[in-house]
Amino acid sequence: MSISGREMEPSDVIELSIPVRTDLVVLARLTAATLATRVGFDVEEIEDLRLAVEELCLSLVRSGDDGRLRLRYTREGDDQIAIECSFEPAPGSPDNGPPPDDLSLRILDALVDEHGRSQKEGHSRAWLRKRRSRTAV
Amino acid sequence: MDQTFDISEREDAAAPVVTVAGEIDVATAPSLRDRLQARVAGGDATIVVDLLQVSFLDSTALGVLVGALKRCREAGGDLRLVIAEPRILKVFEITGLTEVFSIHPTVEDALGALPR
Repeated sequence: MSISGREMEPSDVIELSIPVRTDLVVLARLTAATLATRVGFDVEEIEDLRLAVEELCLSLVRSGDDGRLRLRYTREGDDQIAIECSFEPAPGSPDNGPPPDDLSLRILDALVDEHGRSQKEGHSRAWLRKRRSRTAV
Repeated sequence: MDQTFDISEREDAAAPVVTVAGEIDVATAPSLRDRLQARVAGGDATIVVDLLQVSFLDSTALGVLVGALKRCREAGGDLRLVIAEPRILKVFEITGLTEVFSIHPTVEDALGALPR
């Protein structure tokens, strides 16, 4: 598969599956920061992405939800990262998702190039895309 | 960067100062909420929250601070924030909360305008 003229490599995709626990959302941030560093994001962009992925996760689960968050981080071309997050509720648990949070939406609007939310294969899904601003060194 | 989350409190003649260090996120924000609620319930209408050592905060943290501000104002006081790090200030700016909170660059500045 070719994105922006660059062949996609297996290392361009990172998948993370974490139980819905507040103390584990930090793993979603750490993974985003690691990939952003590899793509050459500057310090401010890395911090933007860390916060944005946190908000992405928070947009899918309510306090007390039981299940797993699955995150897929994709390096797109030389300067862009896409992150998709889906919530897989534990058997018997609802998958309604919290109502949109105004503060969270404002943060995502300001920090990423694109973001959205939908249902996919019966699960709540949220995604974002952020492009590096500076030219690669 | 020290990511350890910590809350400490001290009394000043003008108002109590609650100092937070580390990352305020969905895991740690409830601790801050509980401490601020206890302060207001204990009779402190005006509180200074020192965020100088905070390295990260999310919408959960903002929600906690907004809730505490509301309680302080209902009690006739205010919740004053101390922020110097541009990255933290940016989160308040993009959410429009710089128009809502009284934000100061130093603890002394936040306390300075309060009666002692």
